Amino acid sequence: MPLIEARSLTKRYGSQVTALDNLTLEVEPGIIGLVGANGAGKSTFLKILLGLLEPTSGSAYVMGKDVTREGTDIRQFVGYLAEHDCLPPDVSATEFVTHMGRMSGLPAGAARERTAEVLRHVGLYEERYRPIGGYSTGMKQRVKLAQALVHDPKLLLLDEPTNGLDPAGRDEMLELIRRTGTEFGIATVVASHLLGEIERVCTFLLAIDAGKLLRAAPLASFTERTGMLGVEVEEGAAVLAARLSAAGLTTGLEGRTVLVDAPDERPYDLVRDAIDDLGLALVRLEHRRHRLEDLFRAQDRPEISSGATDAA
Amino acid sequence: MPPESTTPPAVGQVGQPAGGGAIYDLGYRSYDGPRLGRAAAVSTLFSSSLRAAFGWGRSGRAKIVPWGLTAFMLSPAVIAAAISALVPVGEASPFTYDNYLFGSASIYALFVAAQAPELLSADQRHRVLSLYFSHALRRSDYALAKLGALVAALFIIGVAPMLVLFLGAVLVSADVPAALGDQLENLPQVVLAPLIYALPLAALGMAIAAWTPRRAYATGAIIAVFIVTAAVAGIFGEISQGRLGEWSPLINPFVAPEGVRDLLVGDTNPEAPIARSNLPMWIFAAEWVLIVAAGAGAMLWRYRRIAA
Repeated sequence: MPLIEARSLTKRYGSQVTALDNLTLEVEPGIIGLVGANGAGKSTFLKILLGLLEPTSGSAYVMGKDVTREGTDIRQFVGYLAEHDCLPPDVSATEFVTHMGRMSGLPAGAARERTAEVLRHVGLYEERYRPIGGYSTGMKQRVKLAQALVHDPKLLLLDEPTNGLDPAGRDEMLELIRRTGTEFGIATVVASHLLGEIERVCTFLLAIDAGKLLRAAPLASFTERTGMLGVEVEEGAAVLAARLSAAGLTTGLEGRTVLVDAPDERPYDLVRDAIDDLGLALVRLEHRRHRLEDLFRAQDRPEISSGATDAA
Repeated sequence: MPPESTTPPAVGQVGQPAGGGAIYDLGYRSYDGPRLGRAAAVSTLFSSSLRAAFGWGRSGRAKIVPWGLTAFMLSPAVIAAAISALVPVGEASPFTYDNYLFGSASIYALFVAAQAPELLSADQRHRVLSLYFSHALRRSDYALAKLGALVAALFIIGVAPMLVLFLGAVLVSADVPAALGDQLENLPQVVLAPLIYALPLAALGMAIAAWTPRRAYATGAIIAVFIVTAAVAGIFGEISQGRLGEWSPLINPFVAPEGVRDLLVGDTNPEAPIARSNLPMWIFAAEWVLIVAAGAGAMLWRYRRIAA
C-alpha cells in the first residue's frame, strides 16, 4: 500500500484556474520533496491530502484511506505545517501545542507530556511560556512544526517550512526536518520552491509544474553526472569551441563555458592541449551534473535541457 | 526581546547526532497511548471555548466584560434576595421569574456582542482554522462546539440569577421545607427559561460573528441586530396601528424566546410586548425555531465554505 496515492486528481478554482491537472502518482515512505514554482499546485495538493480542500475530480488516498471520505481518520495520523502564519498571538507555545494535541484526540495528560517533548525537540525552551505574539519568525516556524508533531503522526506534510527564515534559521529547520524524518522514521513531504533546500534533506523528489507531474524519482537520479565537461575560460570560449569541434568533439556554448560531450577520457587531453595551444586562461574544468533547475527550464530553453538528457 | 540570542545554543544541541554527548536532549519519542479521536477533540474544544467565553485562563482584561456583565445580570436578584431577608414582610419584589430574563435583554445583547466574536474572530483573523481543520475535527464540529459553548455561557448567566431568586424565596422563609415545597413547581422554568433564551440568542450572535474576522465589526453588527431591532420594534409598537403594530414585536429577537417561555409557563410577562399583542402564541414559537435553525444553519454554512 503506497503512503500517498493520487489518481487523475484535478482541482479547479472557478472556471479559470486549474491548480492540479489530472495528477496521478504514488509515493512510498521517506523524506519526499515536492518541488515546483509558486502556483504549481503544491499547497493545493497538500490541502487535498488533508481533506481541507475537495478535489474537483479524481481521487487521492493517504495510507490507503480516501481523503474525501475518511478525512478525520487520516488527520489523526497526519501533521501539517501550513505555509502562512496560523498562530494565535495571545497564548503561549505550551498552551497552543497542548490544545492542538488534544484537537488530535490525545488525552489531556498525554497532550501536556508530548508538548514538553516536541517543544524540546524543535528547540524551544524557556520562551515556550511566553505569548507567541512576541516570537521571531524562526521561533514561530518551530511552534508550527511542534504542533504538527505533537500527536506523533505517521506522515508530516510541510508546506514551505523555511518560509521567512534567515540562512541560519533555514539550516536549523532543514536539520530538524532531516532528523525527524530519518531518526524517527516519520514519513515527510516537504513542499518548497527552493530546490537547493529540497536537495539537502530529501531522498525522493516529486516535481510538479502547472498542476502536472513533471517527474517522480529518487533524488540521486536528478543530479547524476551528465557525461559532459564544462570548460570555463576567461575569454575565447567561441574559439575554443570551434577548435574542439574541429577535433571531432560535440560541443556547446554557455556564456564563458564550453560544454564538451565526454563519453570517455579522450576529450580531457584534447581540451588541455587546445587551451594550451590557444593560450587561454582556464577558470574551471568540471563534470557537469544534472541540476534540479533543468527540470523547470524545459519550457524556456528546450535545447539545453534535451541535450543534457541525451547525454545522460 | 532578542529571541535569536536564546535559540542558537538550543539548536546546536538539537543538531548533534543522537548520543553525541548532549545528555539533556531527550529527543523525540513516539506515542503509543490512546487516541480518543474526534469526539474527544470536540468536547475539548467545547469546554475550552466555554472557559474562553468567561475569560477563564486568559488575561485580566479578557475577564472584565464577561464577569462585569455576569455581575450586572446577578445583582438585581441578589439585591432582591437581600432586601427580602432584611425586611421580612414587604411588598412583592419587582423581580420575578416572569420578568427577569426579558428585563435583562440588554445585558444578554452586550454579552453576545462581546463574547461571540471573542470565540470566533481570532481563529479567523490569525488563520488558526487551517490548523484546527487539519487535526481530527471536521468543519461542522468546530462550528457546533463553538455554538454550544456560547449557548452554555448564556445559559449560565441566565440560570444564575434565576437560582438566586429561587434560593432566596426558599431560604428567607420562616418555614424552609414548606417554602421549598411551594417553590418546587417553579424549578422547571428556573432551569428551562434560561435555556430557551440561550439557544436563539447564541445562534443569532454566532451567525453574525462567523461572517467577519474583524472583531469590532462583529460586535457592532450584533449590537445593531439585538438592540436596534428591539428599539425599532418598540417604536412601531407605539406609533403604528393595525397590522404593522400588531406584528412589530416579532422584529425584536428577545420576543421569540419570551413567547416560548410564556407557552412553557402558561403565563405572560405583563412588561413584554407580547402582552399587548393579539398574535397567537404559536407564531412566537415558530419564530424561535426559525431563529435557532437559521442561525445555526448560517453558521455551519459559513464554516463549510470558509477558506482554510
